[in-house]
Amino acid sequence: MYDAAHSPQSPTDQPQPRSISEVSQLIQGLLKSDPQLANVTMIGEVSGHSQPPSGHSYFSLRDSESSLRCVMFRYGRGHQYLEDGALVVCQGSANIYAPRGDLQIVVTSTEPAGVGDQQAQLEELKRKLRAEGLYDPSRKRPIPQFPKRIAVITSEQGAVWHDIQNIIRRRYPLMELLLVPSAVQGELAPVTIIEAFADLHEFAETEHVDAVIVGRGGGSPDDLMPYNDEMVARTIFASRIPVISAVGHETDFTIADDVADLRAPTPSAAAELVSPDIAGLTYETADFVQRLMRGLTGRVNLARQRLDLTQDRLAENAPETQIFRERVDDLRSRAQTSWARYLAIKREAMRRVEAELRALGPQNILERGYAIARDGDGNVITKAATVKPRSTIELTFADGTVETEAKSINPTN
Amino acid sequence: MNESDHQQPEEPTSFEDAFTRLESVVRRLESGQMSLDQSTALFEEGMQLAKACTEMLNGAELKIKRLQQGLVEQLNLVSED
Repeated sequence: MYDAAHSPQSPTDQPQPRSISEVSQLIQGLLKSDPQLANVTMIGEVSGHSQPPSGHSYFSLRDSESSLRCVMFRYGRGHQYLEDGALVVCQGSANIYAPRGDLQIVVTSTEPAGVGDQQAQLEELKRKLRAEGLYDPSRKRPIPQFPKRIAVITSEQGAVWHDIQNIIRRRYPLMELLLVPSAVQGELAPVTIIEAFADLHEFAETEHVDAVIVGRGGGSPDDLMPYNDEMVARTIFASRIPVISAVGHETDFTIADDVADLRAPTPSAAAELVSPDIAGLTYETADFVQRLMRGLTGRVNLARQRLDLTQDRLAENAPETQIFRERVDDLRSRAQTSWARYLAIKREAMRRVEAELRALGPQNILERGYAIARDGDGNVITKAATVKPRSTIELTFADGTVETEAKSINPTN
Repeated sequence: MNESDHQQPEEPTSFEDAFTRLESVVRRLESGQMSLDQSTALFEEGMQLAKACTEMLNGAELKIKRLQQGLVEQLNLVSED
């Protein structure tokens, strides 16, 4: 890279000291001749920005490790994007500022850094909403346990709406799903989401709505942007109906998630969060029946014990007269007869209801695609955590059983 | 309402109603604080409620509705996600 034209010496001469300007020019030449440095595009955060009356901008661009001095002359494009803290993309060339020997980048144009800038705006919006109390956990309302009607604000064509229908149909078909269509991406999506909320609230003035799921499936960060919209956030926060946000995948977080009453990691998870599981409810109902029978039997036994005790005491304390003895005997036999009758009636009633319940039984549930899992001892398994790895599990389907082995145990919390 | 406390309990209005009433009936019966007559009445009420619950669970059909949303249609915003 040695440029003979710039040298005042012939190669045979002893080296003579060079002037500072010469060395500076050598470096300048080096920078200018490097194609990468002569036209470089870089991204960084602006700091120390100043713009004297000359109209030129002086600033530094930095990332977490390095910093470079920059100047953009008055005629450069994008001065308005230069403010401290802004993430920008600058185009320019490396250069030595001869009077001071500073390395600097002469920037010819500046643009806001797309995603980086969006991120900064997002953080700013989050800070503002949090300061206003939109994130306040005490403002979050519970979702009803047994909903009668759940609204869903999403795209009618999307997979999300179909997934939610399928999950609710399987888990808790006792309710109604109400679709309020909205766009889920693009610039107009926020308006349609806000409008959907308005329509839903109008509907809810006369009809009962337990909660509303608002969301969409996974997509690029840009696709999810409607759910970071400030007006959408305020609409969700102001909703009189509890809101469950369900945007994208588990790893996607939006402002809608922060201001909603409940964040579901995915739309499918939202459907599960709003619906009790019919299999569990069937099991619990059967358990209640068992407890009713035990409860009544216990109460009857207690009453019988008390009666026996009373009879004994009466017999002990009664004067030895025929009349009293007869009365006690009479009482005893009447009591026994009525008890026998009473119990017979109750047993019959119990049998009848039990038979009815059995007729309704779990068969219908199994037909829906559920299976009952039992461990080696024939006990029903209700928790993944209780299953031992490698243990044998018997699955009962509507039409028969399957024996299988627990390959891996993954309890969710 | 000129009925006494031991009249027929009301028909459950919803699954939630039936299920929560069943739960409370079971609790009251199990408390052992009830007279024999009350216990019997609770038992009968509980069995009816359990039957209602089971019937509702088995007979349920998911209802789907759609709220007309003018704006989306006007804008003809069809989007896949």
